[in-house]
Amino acid sequence: MNHTESTNEYDVAVIGGGLLGSSIAWGLGRLGQRTCVLDEGDVTKRASRANFALVWVQSKGLGLPEYTGWTVRASETWSKLSDEIKAQTGIDVCHQRPGGFHLALSEKELEDRRLSLRRLHNQPGATDYKIEILDHDEVKKQLPHIGPDVVGGTYCPLDGHVNSLRYLRAIHSALKTSGVDYRPEHRVSTIEHRNGEFKISTEQGEIRAGKVVLAAGNANMTLAHMVGLKAPMSPTRGQILVTERTVPFLGFPLTTIRQTDEGTVMIGDSREEFIDDTVQNLPINAVMADRARRMFPLLNQLNIVRTWSGIRVMPKDGFPIYDQSETCPGAFVTCCHSGVTLAPNHAFDIAPMIAKGALDLERVGAFSARRFDQIQVQSSGYY
Amino acid sequence: MSFPESLHAAYDVIVIGAGPAGLAAAATTAEAGLRTLLVDENSAPGGQIYRAITTSPLKNSSILGKDYEAGNDLVHTFEKSGADRLAGCTVWSLDRERVVGLSCGGEARLIKAERVIIATGAMERPFPIPGWTLPGVMTIGAGQTLLKSSGLIPSGRLALAGQGPLLWLYAAQILRAGGHIAAIFDTTPLANYISAALHLPGFIFSPYWTKGLGLIREVKRAVKIVTGVTRLEAQGKNKLQTLVWEAGSRTGSIDLDVLMLHQGVVPHVNLAMAAGIKHEWDAIQLCFRPVLDESGNSSIKGIMIAGDGAGIGGAESAAERGRLAAIDTVANLRPDALAQIPSRDNVRNRLAQTMRGRAFLDHLYRPSKVFRIPQDASTIVCRCEEITAGEIRASIAIGATGPNQLKAYRRTGMGPCQGRLCSLTVTELMADERGKSPEEIGYYRLRSPVKPISLAELASIPQDETAIKAVVRG
Repeated sequence: MNHTESTNEYDVAVIGGGLLGSSIAWGLGRLGQRTCVLDEGDVTKRASRANFALVWVQSKGLGLPEYTGWTVRASETWSKLSDEIKAQTGIDVCHQRPGGFHLALSEKELEDRRLSLRRLHNQPGATDYKIEILDHDEVKKQLPHIGPDVVGGTYCPLDGHVNSLRYLRAIHSALKTSGVDYRPEHRVSTIEHRNGEFKISTEQGEIRAGKVVLAAGNANMTLAHMVGLKAPMSPTRGQILVTERTVPFLGFPLTTIRQTDEGTVMIGDSREEFIDDTVQNLPINAVMADRARRMFPLLNQLNIVRTWSGIRVMPKDGFPIYDQSETCPGAFVTCCHSGVTLAPNHAFDIAPMIAKGALDLERVGAFSARRFDQIQVQSSGYY
Repeated sequence: MSFPESLHAAYDVIVIGAGPAGLAAAATTAEAGLRTLLVDENSAPGGQIYRAITTSPLKNSSILGKDYEAGNDLVHTFEKSGADRLAGCTVWSLDRERVVGLSCGGEARLIKAERVIIATGAMERPFPIPGWTLPGVMTIGAGQTLLKSSGLIPSGRLALAGQGPLLWLYAAQILRAGGHIAAIFDTTPLANYISAALHLPGFIFSPYWTKGLGLIREVKRAVKIVTGVTRLEAQGKNKLQTLVWEAGSRTGSIDLDVLMLHQGVVPHVNLAMAAGIKHEWDAIQLCFRPVLDESGNSSIKGIMIAGDGAGIGGAESAAERGRLAAIDTVANLRPDALAQIPSRDNVRNRLAQTMRGRAFLDHLYRPSKVFRIPQDASTIVCRCEEITAGEIRASIAIGATGPNQLKAYRRTGMGPCQGRLCSLTVTELMADERGKSPEEIGYYRLRSPVKPISLAELASIPQDETAIKAVVRG
């Protein structure tokens, strides 16, 4: 199916062309739904261009055990997604699952980590998976370049990473070949539900669709109210450093350091409430650089070629929100912090539910925004 | 080199770049008694235009010409002014609070100033022809750097291609130094002579007129010139072997060891862009330049830009614009010292004189589209990541609307050059492909470090409690 630019009617309009919206739209295209993706222009807040690219399991789910299971499922289906994308576009997004480490630079850091993992493990209903707590020598067997300041760490075999920028290009290429209209420079101002159809006003005119999926990151907060939904968000800012390319030395991704398939080393990750992504806090970069070199002294000599700050898409309690509107049937809201990790679930699980017209509450009911009506849950969306 | 003991923790004025604008600006603010620091990447002052003015091994001053000698006066005035100079020091960061990130001898520091004057000058416009990345192909600017600092002239068969004053100046310098040039391929579009003619009166009364014509005559006597060139392709297996050219219906090829390219200079905007200063597209000079008031104040309070970085005007106007920025700085920080420095009106008048003839040059040497926007799909645009024009056009087809989404798709501009060598080409190519103006397409969003610094240096800048809390968690 190929639509011309003049087509303004669709089965589904997905608002947001980042990793989350694009993965859902691609899943919808696979099912033969006439789909468009409405996106903003070149300069906007895009977590899909600023993320750390982990496909990560360890430490996720404290406070909402269903999130652990949802994440484990994603970790297990990522290779299916990368295979399909490669078959369709020829682009290898370099998904790898060697397992991942979190390193501690003091006994206290290691103890804190041990405690939070124990609490996670003890939650009723959590999916059980293996996490090893290792001392310096045990870590050194797998990560021979660690420095003396590393007291130990944790290892989970389900963790991995991917080239997330290449995935963005690949999924956008795949949209094109699947006949899904990716429409940038279509910033959405209003959504109206009339006569069983959604009328979406954009900077380039009106789009009509039978269903609408909000996948606009933190902007869902504003859009959700237009279709009888809600999406409480509390975005945070993170900074990342990237080095020049170097010889492969790090066979595993870490929570805060990973070597990309291209050879550069990414170093993260900070968290601040201040959410201006046009500036950076240099002392934070210094702390991240300092911790990174204590973990791997060989990093000292490498040049930093880029640094940036990005705004995390972050639901208020850290867990994903998947919800459907009662007052405007056919409207869905999707938000999550881990757009990279959860991409296969969005393509293979959420998209078919949307195509059918209803979320499968057995599987994703725990992620309804209705949870915010009840008690405040503790955030654990971070690594 | 490392940070000297005498370096202060804060300055009234930090001037970045020791070319004509920076030397003049720093000398003027220091003469007015403002605590001034001039920072420069090179070990000797002079910038590009007066590179190695105090150290050049070329003892025979007739090779580089009389204009080059003018740099001596600027350096002497600066040295007497009392300003601090930090040589061999890289500026890698500048923020809205006027905190300057410096790197020197493997150590990094942050120093704050009341005023920052950016005088980072110009860089050569990219010249993306097929084969421009082959060893043996270089820019005339790079060639001239070797000549000024080390007295080197290329060996083997050399040709120059392109257009602009620097091409003729360098050709003359090579000939005077005893070098040989096999041919010059002049890419000036013939139609430019007509559009430039309108601005001829201003040019005739400028010093460029006699100097420029004299240079061109001097070169033409000794070198074969091919004019109206419309296509260039450098060919060779692992290095340059042949240049294939077209000039309208004429075609030819020439075997070469060295090909030097040049099609003018554009403001070096990376530091100003990374600081968040507003820029606009200059449709005549075909480049982005900062939005400034008459004195050089940018959109960020307390940050000024002077010299060619503010828009191309040449060395003499750069020095005057440096003085103008300095006068505004003194007027704000120490108005009672204004009497000790040149008056604003005098500097303004001299600036107007130096700008005469500029419009003629701008129109005459406006490079043609075929040499700015690669037509062949296989021509490399981003040298660091080896991304071709065809790959950029394919990225537009899947949804890239500007340089930043392109960067995410293709890594263009993510390499060590930080986009210096591809940004203009990328913007113009995307504008052309999408039928938009370069202003609408925009530029890469740049961030510090604008020049790479080592991780150890970055780790050495002071940390604070808030920063540690933002990173460390269990």
